[in-house]
Amino acid sequence: MVIMRAIWFVSQIAFFGLIASRMVAVEDYFRYYVGGLSVMTLYSAAIFIGFDIYEEAEHGVFEYLLSLPVTRRELVLGRSIGGGLRAFIYVGPLMCISLYVIGIANPTNFLLALFSLFLFAFGISGMSITLAVVIKSSDRFDILMGVLDALIVRLSTAMYPLSFVREANPIYGWVANFNPVTYAADLFRWGTGIESFLSFENPLLPLLGIVLFFAFFMFVGIVLYDKSIEGGGWQ
Amino acid sequence: MRHIVHILENDFRNFFRYKWWLVGLISMNLADLFIMAIVYNRMLKPEVVQQIKSYFNFFAPGLTVTGLFASAFMIGREVNMERRREVHQYMLSLPMTRFELAFGRVLSGGLRGMVYMSPLLATCFAFVGPPTPTQFLIILIVLFFLAMGISGLSIAIAVSTTSIDKFVTARGLIYYLLFFCSSVFYPFSLIEQLGREGKFPMLLVNFARVNPLSNASDLIRSFLLGTPPFTLEMVISVLVFSAVFTFFAAFAYIKLIERA
Repeated sequence: MVIMRAIWFVSQIAFFGLIASRMVAVEDYFRYYVGGLSVMTLYSAAIFIGFDIYEEAEHGVFEYLLSLPVTRRELVLGRSIGGGLRAFIYVGPLMCISLYVIGIANPTNFLLALFSLFLFAFGISGMSITLAVVIKSSDRFDILMGVLDALIVRLSTAMYPLSFVREANPIYGWVANFNPVTYAADLFRWGTGIESFLSFENPLLPLLGIVLFFAFFMFVGIVLYDKSIEGGGWQ
Repeated sequence: MRHIVHILENDFRNFFRYKWWLVGLISMNLADLFIMAIVYNRMLKPEVVQQIKSYFNFFAPGLTVTGLFASAFMIGREVNMERRREVHQYMLSLPMTRFELAFGRVLSGGLRGMVYMSPLLATCFAFVGPPTPTQFLIILIVLFFLAMGISGLSIAIAVSTTSIDKFVTARGLIYYLLFFCSSVFYPFSLIEQLGREGKFPMLLVNFARVNPLSNASDLIRSFLLGTPPFTLEMVISVLVFSAVFTFFAAFAYIKLIERA
């Protein structure tokens, strides 16, 4: 998976980013696109924890995890944070490539952006775990993740500025405005100094959005984990 | 011929086992068209607008070709899995010639690609406009040969390794090189321009020019949009690609699975 993601990432930068920047009338689109690409990659790596849940259920590891002397809350929280951290380890080298291309203008802003990306990755892992335990069918989960990936990433500012999304379709613009991928992508750009076409004036607002996203899926994940899994609920 | 039909039946049954995966792939394709292409439509530079008019119309044929590519490539994954699980011993024991077996696999990969691509092509015609009956026939023939070539390419990669990691890596490299170094997403003139400015290696510019995905997309565009103009080179490029990889794959399949 790491190699596949790396090939995808590099070809996106070297081909799509470079050539598309000649096609569009967005100033400095290449750097803008590379910033969004890092968040797209982080999103798809963090989603993977859900697939692990199915593998564990298939091999009976689920029952073992439930028998461990930890609370359900600790279990969900630990898995979400673990999934997010793992995604960061996968994506770390690719992010370094992005930073080499984009550069860092203000280290303090960048640290805040990095913190928000951690929360974003934990939130995505929590969402993936929540959906996996609700759906309980790897086929359906696979399709839902494909559809979500298609919609969440494309209806965000990962690839294009919010003003163009709104202009294309007000509904798309509305969805993009409340999309955690938009918050993460724009905060990452803000942290690296790409300040044109940002969707916010105050960076605390998207940060708050990401904190809420993380908290929501953590809470829902814990409740659903308890309800769906106890007493052989997986079967 | 009867034996090839059996192979086709078997591979089509396997193809529809991945129905969830196919639904996911189609929704991603449609999201690309109805979200990404519509937004890019608003972002184009005036000189690009002059050249391609609408990004949505420009991208729809490219999307059809990428859908064909992804689905025709799936046969490689199955062939690689058969080799890893040694199902190929069973395949070799079937009462049919090696050529029938190999050609049947390449043909089924290509036909599966055509089946998957049909709704995307219909969507393209519905939104961009229909071709004339002759143009429609040429498009179908060229896309069928392209699908055969892609299926052959994926089988050739699949039988050359038993390692899933190596297969996935090789597939990724080929996938993205053929996808992004082509005129599927952007006009070829932009790639040429980057090459002239020295910002893109000329080797890759030439690769994009002969890339069968570029030529198949541009062939559909030439009929539906009138630009770029139709050239015989578009058809020849796809036919050469198809001929080389269909026969190479059949040969590799026979030789390598017998050796394994």
